[in-house]
Amino acid sequence: MSVKNRATANVGAGLWKATGMWAWLLFRISGVILALYLFLHIIVISTGRWTGAGKTLNSLMKFFDHPALVVLDLALVVAVLYHALNGVRIILMDLGIGTKQHKIMFWCAMGVVVICFAIFAWVAFTFIATGKGALS
Amino acid sequence: MRAEAVSKHRGGMWAWLFQRVTAVLLIVMLAIHLTVTHLYNIGKINYDTIGARVAHAGFTAVDIILLAAGIFHALNGLRMVLMDYWFTSRDRARILTIVFWVIGVVALAYGIWALWPWIGYQVR
Repeated sequence: MSVKNRATANVGAGLWKATGMWAWLLFRISGVILALYLFLHIIVISTGRWTGAGKTLNSLMKFFDHPALVVLDLALVVAVLYHALNGVRIILMDLGIGTKQHKIMFWCAMGVVVICFAIFAWVAFTFIATGKGALS
Repeated sequence: MRAEAVSKHRGGMWAWLFQRVTAVLLIVMLAIHLTVTHLYNIGKINYDTIGARVAHAGFTAVDIILLAAGIFHALNGLRMVLMDYWFTSRDRARILTIVFWVIGVVALAYGIWALWPWIGYQVR
């Protein structure tokens, strides 16, 4: 994007036709979600010290096994995988790798996202259906 | 996304570099963390199983690195986003940076406090 048009980050509606701009927007949204989740996660895990012998933590963890929350967890996995794999693509491009094939790079990264997600989804839905871990 | 990464007056070189360093750390450590918690221990996470995991020196390291790298990466990322929208001037950006450093240090201390009883934990 041209420097002239960049008073704020994402001005210029015509740019939104490009894959890269959607990749950038989703990267930003998933990043903000993950940042907020991290602090929530720190608080949840710290409940282990709130009451004796981790009572609060144990009841929270039981609550998180509810099917709706397992599915929500799976949505978080999508955010993690997208942010991680698009991040790998950005680092590679910073190193000058694949700058000419950035669209192919993006879709390869998304392919890895889909494959990894399939594994997590299989484990999550096996757990919802049977109450057991598919790999444990 | 490259434009924001390389522009000199926004964020600074060291923040840019550490964002990359923590990114690589997070990918490796998160892969371990998620494989253990989501794939192998789904439905079995409680105070004792977390303790059994963190008691292992290797996993203590994984969790502390995740905590430190995660907090830096998250706060620096939020800082880059906010600097695009309201914290656009040098003065506003500086206030944001200081506030986020304070939040980060407090969060790291609180996170280590939370993990502390599990380091070297003996399952009853």
